[in-house]
Amino acid sequence: MAALVPGRFRFAPYIEFGKKAIAREATYRFDVFTSIGSFALRVYVLRMVWTALYARNAAPPGLPLHSILTYSAVALLMGLVLDVDQVSSLYEKLHDGSIISDFMRPISVPLYFFADGTGEVLFHALLIVPSLALALLIVHIDVPSAGAFAAFVLSLLLGYFVGFCVNFILNCTAFWTLEIHAAQLIVTWLTDLLGGELVPLVLFPAALQNVLYALPFAAMFSTPLLIYVGQIAPARYPAAIGLQVVWLLVLGAICTLMWRAGVRRVVVQGG
Amino acid sequence: MGPQSRSRVAVGPVSATARRALAVYGQHWRINLLTALEYRENFLLWAAFAVVYHGSAIAALWVVLHAFPSMNGWDFRDMAFLYGLWMLAHALHDTLFFGVGSVPEYVRDGEFDRLLIRPLDTLFAVIAIPGQVFPDELILALAYFGAATWYAQVRVDALFVLCVPFVIAGGTMIELAINLIVATIAFWFVRVDAIRWIVLQLESEFTRYPIGIYSRGVRLFLTFVIPFAFMNYFPAAYFLHKSHSTFALPAAAGLLAPLIGLAFLAVAYGFWRVGLNRYQGVGH
Amino acid sequence: MTIIEAVDLNKTFRSIVRQPGLGGALRALFSREFEEKAAVRNVNFALRQGELVGYLGPNGAGKSTTIKMLTGILVPTSGKIRVAGIVPHEHRRENGQNIGVVFGQRSQLYWDLPLRESFELLRAIYDVPRDRYNANLRHFNDILDLERFMGTPVRQLSLGERMRGDFAAAMLHDPKIVYLDEPTIGLDVVAKEAIREFIGTMNRERGTTVILTTHDLADVERLTRRILLIDEGTVIYDGSLAKLRDEYGTHRTLVVTLAETYPEIDVPGTTLDRREGNVVHLRFDRRDVSAEALVRRVLDTYRITDISLAEPDIDEIVRRIYTDGYVAAPAVVPG
Repeated sequence: MAALVPGRFRFAPYIEFGKKAIAREATYRFDVFTSIGSFALRVYVLRMVWTALYARNAAPPGLPLHSILTYSAVALLMGLVLDVDQVSSLYEKLHDGSIISDFMRPISVPLYFFADGTGEVLFHALLIVPSLALALLIVHIDVPSAGAFAAFVLSLLLGYFVGFCVNFILNCTAFWTLEIHAAQLIVTWLTDLLGGELVPLVLFPAALQNVLYALPFAAMFSTPLLIYVGQIAPARYPAAIGLQVVWLLVLGAICTLMWRAGVRRVVVQGG
Repeated sequence: MGPQSRSRVAVGPVSATARRALAVYGQHWRINLLTALEYRENFLLWAAFAVVYHGSAIAALWVVLHAFPSMNGWDFRDMAFLYGLWMLAHALHDTLFFGVGSVPEYVRDGEFDRLLIRPLDTLFAVIAIPGQVFPDELILALAYFGAATWYAQVRVDALFVLCVPFVIAGGTMIELAINLIVATIAFWFVRVDAIRWIVLQLESEFTRYPIGIYSRGVRLFLTFVIPFAFMNYFPAAYFLHKSHSTFALPAAAGLLAPLIGLAFLAVAYGFWRVGLNRYQGVGH
Repeated sequence: MTIIEAVDLNKTFRSIVRQPGLGGALRALFSREFEEKAAVRNVNFALRQGELVGYLGPNGAGKSTTIKMLTGILVPTSGKIRVAGIVPHEHRRENGQNIGVVFGQRSQLYWDLPLRESFELLRAIYDVPRDRYNANLRHFNDILDLERFMGTPVRQLSLGERMRGDFAAAMLHDPKIVYLDEPTIGLDVVAKEAIREFIGTMNRERGTTVILTTHDLADVERLTRRILLIDEGTVIYDGSLAKLRDEYGTHRTLVVTLAETYPEIDVPGTTLDRREGNVVHLRFDRRDVSAEALVRRVLDTYRITDISLAEPDIDEIVRRIYTDGYVAAPAVVPG
């Protein structure tokens, strides 16, 4: 693996990669309208669904209608922005062989991958303003306390990194299996369900909840969301965020191991 | 026309055309299956994804209805059956007519011309293009539908057995009609990905829940504009003996699904012919 | 017997004028301006059964528009068109049965499976009787040596192999007419030769009418005797290649390698076409002065190490026609 320039870490190339990703995303103009359009549609549908459900059934303890509506809206916003689970730039590089030339450049491929994915996210982040405005037309979104919001942001960032690691690991499997598209989609859908994006984890049967909270999927979505709507009390912030950190470390280690194994395979086998 | 007409090679009378179409369609499926075998692991993964996709939708429904047992009078059993009706029509459509979705791509890269020089009806040629299709989702849908029918305690009498295939066919035709319209737009606008995506989203969202939860305007739209409600809601309401109290339509409105599907498809096909004429430069 | 006939064929395209910028886009919402482009203008030609014709023209000249009308894809604006006795766009499917098409840059073969599967599908599409199909396959196998790679998935074939497969695929149903669009593009010399052989054989043995659209003029020289030249929507030349070369091949080029560097090169009766270092290309009209006389003039004036005479290049002829326009029987310039 090519060594970085000793003594100084250069940020510039990675910022460039990030910018390129933004430019690439921006050319998909239809992407903007369809993303926002489909987002608004789903906010509307969820509002009607929860309203109808709350009309005829008892509300779960501590989760009034406005909380769950907020949860859904914020979950969808998160999904809109963090929609990088289909990023497959590493897979593409392996597929067309350009990874070899990357090895010869003093660029860290994983970091390139990260900058690329983050660039996409930053572009999507621009969508927050119009999407949020649209969402507020459809549904009321609670505003958390300053402390809760700060914890939410921290948790969100950690969740993003965890999600990045999961996606990176998936991309790495391309070193061995070459095709990852279906696997990525499977993981995406499982994450949506088990990570609380489709349905808040607090609604799951109690026995299942304990298992789900321990999984990395919850670390990606559920934890920040539950902090936002106040389902996780401030007293439990350290435990919840701590778990996210644990997952980040574990997955980060797996990323490193897989990357090294993959590189070894390419270098030894010659692609 | 004169002597020249006698020298032309006829494509043949109706029976020969039908025989040819059958042979071509048979080849279409032979190649589909061979290709799926060729890419075995890939196919298995996609089959797994079909399970995950539908499984997670149903699991989400189950979790929600476990916490909130009734949605406008529909419980989880009802919702499971509702999903089954949609899933079967959708799987049937994707298995038989997925080629239609590729028309914009063909128009864009010039492949569509290749279809026009074939001695076949153009739409049939589109449908008969082989791809990597295996009826895994369809088999899953059939199995699920059987299970859901039993689970929802639907009365399986002669009427049910007789009507269900037509109702499903109706749902398939509705979905085909929608996709055909979107594909036809490509003759004018080439890039229709955005429209396609929105339509797919509309379908997956609005066929999931009983339409009674929506405002009147939305219900009007789903019944009379893009008849998603006839894909599964009205038929489900009928078979489950649920009152749908929508716009004074009869309780058995769901059984009209095949007619609605046919009518909608006829409109879509007319639009397709208009689009084809435009593509071929008629009237310039 | 005439198999393809075009009389006063016209095709005009109407498109919306798009003004640049936001103002233009807004304006377009209210008033639509159309502009008309005549892609094909009063084209006339008739091809006899069994002819092998080269159809040449610069890009955008109207070649593909004409072919699309002949194949039934496009409907003409006006004029008469007949292919094998029928009007292509009115009887699209019948026309499809009569023709075969090979696109050099796009294959009609199914990528993921061996050749044979694509052939079977085509057999069903064109309703080829089983014994005729087998006979054709055997014959093509002999000429094109398909057996070697029949069992390989098409995506793994080399370009030459794939092209051979595409040719067999196009001929499987014994079409009366075959349209070839850049059939030898990207092929190596050996493969090109094999394809040309095949085209010639099909034309000779089966009387298949062939329309060859290509930018590779070696294809044209090797295979065709008649060419149709189209430019800006009209047919500017329709006749034999030999005649074109005679009429336009009035110029020859004397290629002289000088022994030393001369500042000025001037040989009366010639024009300096180009100069690369010590190699000069001198063009002259063979009707005005003989090559022999010129060689003597050059030897008298300059010291040389090599001298040769280049035949009129068909490429050059065609290029000149594109740029200068075609003038039948150019006037003889005295001098």
